[in-house]
Amino acid sequence: MILDRVSQLFERYGVIVAFVGLLVWNGVFAENADVFRSPENLRNILNQNAATGIVAIGMTLVIVGGGIDLAVGSVMALAAAIGLLASNAFLGFSESYVESGTLSAGAAEWLAVGIGFAAGIGTGLAAGALNGVLVTVGRLPAFIATLGGLVGYRSISLALAEAGEIRATKTAVLTEIGRGGLPVVPGSLLASGNPLIFSWSIITFLVLAVVGQIVLSRTRYGRHLVAVGGNPTAARYSAIAVDWVRFVSYVLIGLCAALAGLLQMARMSSVSTSQLGSQMELDAIAAVVIGGTAMSGGRGRVWGTVLGVLILGIINNMLIVSQVSTYWQGALKGAIIVVAVLIQRGRKT
Amino acid sequence: MSDPAALAIDGISKSFPAVKALDGVSLSMRAGEIHGIVGENGAGKSTLMKILAGVQRPDIGSIRLAGEPVEFRSVGDALNAGIAMIHQELNLVGDLTVAENIALGREPSRFGLVSRAAMRTAATDALRELGSAVSPNARVSTLSVADMQLVEIAKALALNARILIMDEPTAVLSERETSALFALVRRLALRGVTILYISHLLPEVLDLCDRISVLRDGKLVTTVRPTEVDERKLASLMVGRDLTEVFPPRARPAPAPPALRVESLSVLPVVRDVSFEVAPGEILGIAGLVGSGRTETAEAIVGLRAPTGGRILLASKPVRFRGPRAAIAAGVAYVSEDRKERGVHLPMSCVENVTIAHLKDFGRVFPKRAAERATAATWISRLAVKCPNPAGPIRALSGGNQQKLAVAKWLDALPKGRQGVLLLDEPTRGVDLGAKREMYRLIADLAAQGLACVVISSELPELLGLCHRIVVMRNGRIEGEVDAESATEETIMHLAAGVDGASGSASSTPQRRTA
Repeated sequence: MILDRVSQLFERYGVIVAFVGLLVWNGVFAENADVFRSPENLRNILNQNAATGIVAIGMTLVIVGGGIDLAVGSVMALAAAIGLLASNAFLGFSESYVESGTLSAGAAEWLAVGIGFAAGIGTGLAAGALNGVLVTVGRLPAFIATLGGLVGYRSISLALAEAGEIRATKTAVLTEIGRGGLPVVPGSLLASGNPLIFSWSIITFLVLAVVGQIVLSRTRYGRHLVAVGGNPTAARYSAIAVDWVRFVSYVLIGLCAALAGLLQMARMSSVSTSQLGSQMELDAIAAVVIGGTAMSGGRGRVWGTVLGVLILGIINNMLIVSQVSTYWQGALKGAIIVVAVLIQRGRKT
Repeated sequence: MSDPAALAIDGISKSFPAVKALDGVSLSMRAGEIHGIVGENGAGKSTLMKILAGVQRPDIGSIRLAGEPVEFRSVGDALNAGIAMIHQELNLVGDLTVAENIALGREPSRFGLVSRAAMRTAATDALRELGSAVSPNARVSTLSVADMQLVEIAKALALNARILIMDEPTAVLSERETSALFALVRRLALRGVTILYISHLLPEVLDLCDRISVLRDGKLVTTVRPTEVDERKLASLMVGRDLTEVFPPRARPAPAPPALRVESLSVLPVVRDVSFEVAPGEILGIAGLVGSGRTETAEAIVGLRAPTGGRILLASKPVRFRGPRAAIAAGVAYVSEDRKERGVHLPMSCVENVTIAHLKDFGRVFPKRAAERATAATWISRLAVKCPNPAGPIRALSGGNQQKLAVAKWLDALPKGRQGVLLLDEPTRGVDLGAKREMYRLIADLAAQGLACVVISSELPELLGLCHRIVVMRNGRIEGEVDAESATEETIMHLAAGVDGASGSASSTPQRRTA
């Protein structure tokens, strides 16, 4: 009885234990603890994992709804590529207006980036919608429909740039978005004296995390998503628009993937069509699973996913700081995913 | 009794979160006894059986076999000690042969290879002992359910089981198969096998068993001999009070134009040309064998299936719903059969289950939880749902209480101040007697308040006791309509089966599976 309780608690809150354990180990006991716990290093961990985090939040919703999305990494690349191409195209188009003085150079660049982001987000929404249609109207298994997307969207991105890199013709505004951010901790509180700046990626990640958790646990849509993921038949018999609920989850993850891709693009001021978002689907699914969301659907939590992302990020960081070959990181990641699922198995629905 | 009992259970208790499933139960039975276990759903029968079969472990208490204390950590332990359980859902591998199934897990081998000959011989012997003509080489998936049960029993005997637990074995059998099974059970008992027989069907328990133990709320009420009690007495022991009228008095609805009218509705090929109507305050029954198109008719009305022809009129206006969402918005609710798969959301909380069908009335984007809780609490008290923790998952409730909440879900979702139609599909299946009675009262009350009710059921006494009129379906068509007060089970069966003296009741259609 008591043992049951303990194992139940561990199943439910094990991810917190693991997260805190990792923090304490790395921040207090490890050899390079002072490096690890420096605010800049912690911020960098967030920064490096923000894109994964943004995608993983969308993935949580899709998986809770009983689906899966393997296409996210390719959608990131496609949205970023189309966004940057649109932005570059507008810059070219606006040149004559800038020369004639109708438009200032700065305004043209801001406008171009705005149009690029809009095009990229539109691409993500459209790709998500197509996945959603294939799964709901086309009645394809989500795994297959989005496997098609994984291969297809990546191929389109590659074709758009002849498998190469797309570069921004002007980088000032993009750099401001990609490298800039908000000073979250004032310099007076820090040893370095410089304020701690959270990039827009981090801010997007954190805001989406809060929004995602609220959507899942407090909204009507979230409740319906849980019902659909838990038992689609019962949901249909309970007057829930099952197909619509599922469709929306794919559109939402398309949006998340586009945002992640565009923010990555801004940071580099370029898009490597073969690299950007590559294998993102695996990292995102791993984070969702580690966070305690059931792969079978019907049960999940965004906060768990956020911790899952951070756990994976901290482990990466830990291996880098202790100069372990990056080749080992995959092995450790794999082991963690398997253990997380083993622990989950205890509370089958 | 100087001999130690074949099986003695002493002071067994088992608790689950929020429920005490078994509370100090002690039983003992001698070798060769047929011992019946009866009780309402949730009385603790299945927990007791699971403990005996090694599926679960008791919190306290002990089990002794022929005087020796035993402790089971797994099903394997129980099997090795000689306790085998014949589950309601049979545990056979359909793609293997009878002999392979009987030998499953302990195949005789020679030189590391399975010896098919030895396997066949053992199976033939075991089957012959049971007087069965099933071929050991037959594929199990081609057998009838009754034969599959025999294979299960043969498998248990091949393991030298001394105690056989049978859980509702006749639920899937026809009358003739049932009497064959009883004869077999009696023969096994004569050979010294002790049989624990669980059933809802009291006449059958009274007929077969040497002694009968009654469980209620996890406690052993009493153990009686069939000669000491009759069906009525046994039922009241189970429920813990005298069973007065099971059915509420029938109120005559005031004459009114039909709330729902179905004209020549077809869903080919399962529903053909079905017409009926139901007035406000009226309870219309739909009888018929399993597969006669009753559920499909109801599903077509609420748009879960697309009708291929015909009209549906709601308050004289033609409607065609695209699904339960549209139907409930217009005041038509369908409480589905198959509670676990369709009726309730097992992992979700009781509160969430009540509000799920019309969550938007609690807030377009953010449902107000306090309002949800208050609504659920109202229904829980109004329908007398036993629900200690409304915020906990509905799966913790017994079947009857789950069913009440499934009905509450739709009653709450029905638009207020509008003519409502309630379609109930097998509303009391798998629900114990007390809960059935409450469900009948609820339906009668709802009708008295002006709801038009349609009840689909395989239990004829239920339809005859509850409804005003009954339409009978066969092969997708309406075969006839009877007045519930004057009709008998025979007249309905005649219509439902299309022949005189059709065997059994509508609920026990033997489902023969043949190659």
